[in-house]
Amino acid sequence: MMVEGLDTRSELESVLSKALEASKADETEALVAASDHSLTRFTHNAIHESVNERNCQLSVRAVVGKRTGVAATNKLDAENVAAVVRRAHDIALLSTDDEQFPGLPYGSTQAADLPDAFDPATASASADMRAAAVAQIAAVMRVHNLYAAGYVSTQSDAIAIANSKGTRRYYQGSDSAINIKAIGPDSSGFAEGFSRKFSSLNPSALAEGAAKKARDSANPRALEPGAYTVVFEPPAFREFIGYLSWIGFGAQPFDEGSSFMAGNIGSKIVGDEVTIRDDFSHPLGDGMPFDFEGVPRQQVTLVDKGVARNVVYDSYYAAKLGHVNTGHALPAPNSEGPLPLNIVVEPGTTSEEDLIKDVKHGVLVSRSWYIRLVDQKQTIITGMTRDGLFLIERGRVTRGLKNMRFNESIIGALGRCRLANKLVRSENHVVPTVRIDDFHFSSGTEF
Amino acid sequence: MHLEAQAQRALDTAASLGADYADVRLGESRDENLEVRNGVVASFSDSESAGFSVRVLVGGAWGFAASADINDGELDRVAALAVAIARASGKTRGQGITLLPAGSFQDSFQTPREIDPGAVSLNDRLSLLLAAEAEVRAAKGVTVARAWMDVWRTKKFFASSEGSRIDQDLLQCGSGVHALAVGENDVQDRVFPGTGGLYQSGGYEIIKKADLISNARRIGEESVALLSAPRCPTGTMDVVLSGDQVSLQIHESIGHALELDRVMGWEANFSGTSFATLDKLGSFRYGSEHVNVVCDMTCPLALATHGYDDEGTPAKSVYLIRDGVLVGYMAGRDTAHVANVEPGGCVRAEYWGRLPMIRIGNVNLEAGSVPAENLFDDVKNGVYMESNRSWSIDDKRLNFQFGCQIGYEIKNGKKGRMLKNPTYAGMTPTFWRSCDAIGNAASWVAWGTPNCGKGEPLQTARSCQGAAPTRFRNVEVGVGYDG
Repeated sequence: MMVEGLDTRSELESVLSKALEASKADETEALVAASDHSLTRFTHNAIHESVNERNCQLSVRAVVGKRTGVAATNKLDAENVAAVVRRAHDIALLSTDDEQFPGLPYGSTQAADLPDAFDPATASASADMRAAAVAQIAAVMRVHNLYAAGYVSTQSDAIAIANSKGTRRYYQGSDSAINIKAIGPDSSGFAEGFSRKFSSLNPSALAEGAAKKARDSANPRALEPGAYTVVFEPPAFREFIGYLSWIGFGAQPFDEGSSFMAGNIGSKIVGDEVTIRDDFSHPLGDGMPFDFEGVPRQQVTLVDKGVARNVVYDSYYAAKLGHVNTGHALPAPNSEGPLPLNIVVEPGTTSEEDLIKDVKHGVLVSRSWYIRLVDQKQTIITGMTRDGLFLIERGRVTRGLKNMRFNESIIGALGRCRLANKLVRSENHVVPTVRIDDFHFSSGTEF
Repeated sequence: MHLEAQAQRALDTAASLGADYADVRLGESRDENLEVRNGVVASFSDSESAGFSVRVLVGGAWGFAASADINDGELDRVAALAVAIARASGKTRGQGITLLPAGSFQDSFQTPREIDPGAVSLNDRLSLLLAAEAEVRAAKGVTVARAWMDVWRTKKFFASSEGSRIDQDLLQCGSGVHALAVGENDVQDRVFPGTGGLYQSGGYEIIKKADLISNARRIGEESVALLSAPRCPTGTMDVVLSGDQVSLQIHESIGHALELDRVMGWEANFSGTSFATLDKLGSFRYGSEHVNVVCDMTCPLALATHGYDDEGTPAKSVYLIRDGVLVGYMAGRDTAHVANVEPGGCVRAEYWGRLPMIRIGNVNLEAGSVPAENLFDDVKNGVYMESNRSWSIDDKRLNFQFGCQIGYEIKNGKKGRMLKNPTYAGMTPTFWRSCDAIGNAASWVAWGTPNCGKGEPLQTARSCQGAAPTRFRNVEVGVGYDG
């Protein structure tokens, strides 16, 4: 099947209709996802990889009583669609009853409209346009006697979902990103930008930002491990939030008791300034108005002024735990449970400059790297800094530092934080710069 | 249309539009996953994907395009798009790509297998998992019990403008059990076999030999016992690591560090670069004299084994570290000349739609001579750590910190009490130089890692790091919990 320009609603819906018509299961869900993704990668100020991929995958969930089976294919002719439907049904017949399975959700509720989600110009951006952006980035680097590595990407996606209980959903979105690491003899600096509209990204401005960090962090010195007041810029802070989302904001770890939210709803868990929401509709974000069961996404307040309020649900956990379905299902089969995919950390009231201004002796982190969970319940993570670590002295960023390893409880750290008043999208989350007191660096590295 | 004719059409189109070199990969994969969680089938799925890609070199610049739709028009469109992308890349191409010839091969390869998974009914497979998961759950205090298996089939056809026509049929299987115990302020995990299950190349025999049912109860009991176990001490001491933990240590601190594209800065903005720079080749003491590491793409059972890689290079065995000294890199046809090394057949793509790149293949630490049970001898004060729980390393692969699922005190050569939350940290060369004993061949296992991430767009690769239990002296232990 062609995914030409992703003007494909009728084609995708036709595939769904064929699948539902072919099914002999008690209930059937069909999800078809079409993608047209391009990415141009560069290093040493030159393009070394540039790719485009088109794909379109149909996934069918068949339900027989309390049994389910899932089969998927990207061969979308009538014969193969019928075959995948049969396979899902056969698997369901062989499966075992899950007494808590509530059945597929009904599609009676209207999903929100996101009129700005799709930008045709971004969807059809050419390799020449991405190469031109790389050329702009390289030109900035040459001025500063640096070189850059990174990527420029443009993409479009379409998702259609239908089930035998009346659900019919369609979404089409575009996205783009620029990622730049500016590299000097002994330092580096990072900048990133994300937008549904490629034309709203400014390669030169991002390159200047990355270059400034690389220049300012030249000749880095080592800092003694220990506890410092640390300012994390959005690309660094986003990784913390991504981990919190995975280990604690979904109904499954909440139900099993492994989440930091378990037993704490209504309790103060972090500082007053911290409000965390999942919001598919945030104007900076890349959210989708329904989940992978076709249920409209709700905006969910997870933490409100430091108090644990909610986790997110899909149809299974909503039924199991007697809660409203918030529309956060992942594609079936899903043994991870529901997850929030579009976290927004509400901004504080202080400017980024003022967050730094009253730090006597601290650290500024531009980007974090290879964060892994050390202790789930205590939300302890370890990770490294990279691409721009700076010393803050008497309220000013004064020099570059060699990179460091940290070990810290995220929830603990959010109890000692202040948030900047500006929000930035980093990957699929929207976060401000954050300042954390008494943040623990455990060791350093050689660069 | 026959695969060869389809590939030829795309090659001809690329050549007619000016490609200096082209290769075409037509691929089809089929992945089956079964998972039982707390007595319920949590995942029972069968997913197939087919498509093709065209990679071209035009004037020293690469272009790549892929599509799921295999027909004449699409073969022409994708080949032309790959050429257009290469021409766009050429506008900012730097020094240009030097591509070493791979040779021309007409060949086929099939993963050796004893039992075709298709000959084992889904009912039998599910019964095995239900029984194993029930055994995990039979351990009192287990909060979540899981058992799973994966069967992965990949068929691919490679054709190049140099004349290669290569058919491959790869089969990989894996399985495991998992216990999660939740305490008041603590969560403890145990997995068997290894860190995330046993994944190898082969048929259903891989799943049978994992012996899930016999070990499931113990894994459940250990997860619960860990909740009340004392915490791993902090300090500098000797460490003995299980083979599966050594496997991940190899992956992170040797495998990734010796990917030549990283060394050249091709991954600088994402996966990172490497401390193991070209000037170190041939002289740098990476580890002690006990440390011999080979990338062997022909290794039986190993998860990355194949006949040819995704740019048509035959699978080879290449030493990376010999007697502790850095002697090689994993290289591809467009990078090997920089280090004057040989492409080892380790350039792979996740599937038909992704660009092949250097991936950790089967990076094996050769077995030593010490029976595994004797590795504790001569350790006065140390910790034995088994199966990974967390792993982190800097973007030049130097500063690392690993956590394991379970530890045991070693006192005066004897294994002592169970310890929870064991962790250790160090710098890569210092750590490998402290290796003073490696378990013998009887304790060596081709441990597979099914989920290695690299590249943009991100690609997941299946690698292997064969290893035996190994001993290291004077390691920093017990980091992470006190800042």
